[in-house]
Amino acid sequence: MSIDKELREELRQAADALHCPPGLYGRVRHSYQHYVNEKRGRSPMKKRILAGIAAAAILIPSAAFAASYLADDIFGSSATIEQHGGTQEDYQVIEEGLQKAKSKLTEDEFKTYMELSKQLVQLKLKITDENGVRHEEKLTEEEQQQLEQLASRLAPYFEKINGTSNP
Amino acid sequence: MNDKELLPWLEKATLGDESAFQLVYQATHQDVYRTVAFLVYNKQDIEDIVNEVYMRIWRSFHTYDPSRPFRYWLHGIIVRQVQDWKRKAWRRIRLFERNRQMTCEQFEWTDKAILQSETQHELISLIRQLSYKLRVVVILRYFHDYSLEEIAEMLQIPVGTAKSRHHLALKELRKRYSLTGGDVYVH
Repeated sequence: MSIDKELREELRQAADALHCPPGLYGRVRHSYQHYVNEKRGRSPMKKRILAGIAAAAILIPSAAFAASYLADDIFGSSATIEQHGGTQEDYQVIEEGLQKAKSKLTEDEFKTYMELSKQLVQLKLKITDENGVRHEEKLTEEEQQQLEQLASRLAPYFEKINGTSNP
Repeated sequence: MNDKELLPWLEKATLGDESAFQLVYQATHQDVYRTVAFLVYNKQDIEDIVNEVYMRIWRSFHTYDPSRPFRYWLHGIIVRQVQDWKRKAWRRIRLFERNRQMTCEQFEWTDKAILQSETQHELISLIRQLSYKLRVVVILRYFHDYSLEEIAEMLQIPVGTAKSRHHLALKELRKRYSLTGGDVYVH
């Protein structure tokens, strides 16, 4: 018998005697599942962490919105006041005033107060240039009357807010 | 099931179909295990490598060229995984220790079955004693029936090198075989 033939025969017999241990299947399967998870993007643990981060990313800004500036209701944003010579700090002061008003007034009162303030601010913004200088002459007579009216209507609210002596 | 029929299942398995995975494993595991076991002797190492081979199959299936035989691609993966395993330094230390053990105990057998066949078949033990470089050529040539050109491509060596390793391996085998009293024609 030639060595070629004998080698073939020999290796075939040796191979027949070699059996893949059945336990190996579980291991290869485990690795396979790991591969599938990896392929689907991420492992379950990673998925959970990412979901957590995503949830936090959504919740934090909405929580911030819930506690958003009352002043934003009036001005839109702090950018408005900055365009009229105001600063972030001024905005904070206004915000504090509004928060104070909210705590002192009833819900209905506060609603009216906010509405009136909004109108007042609209008018005031109109007459204030980008350096914060007032030009009352810019208003029409009608508007000037409106401004006075608003001021007088707001007066009792201001008293209530600032007047700690008569609650 | 022939290899052509296996391909759609392989593709499904790589996409995450577990029943397809089972089918592919059933169709290939003996071949993979036996090939690795001819190249590496420690039972634990064989299992590690078989596991790595399957990981490689899933991960690299997109590189498989369907116009070529699947088994050739598979055996290429096996050979590369075995070589990777040999390259890793920490394993080399273990290998060193194992070699020392082997010289004491003559040989470490993967299976009782092998030990049994050993007493009957001297030639296989001679193959096992060949150096890895020669042995891999013998396994691919006589177990998987690849041509020397195919072997050279798979091992990424020049055809001349594959031929000389093949020649050297046979020379070694003939020499040792005649010493143990085998009746092989020396060409």
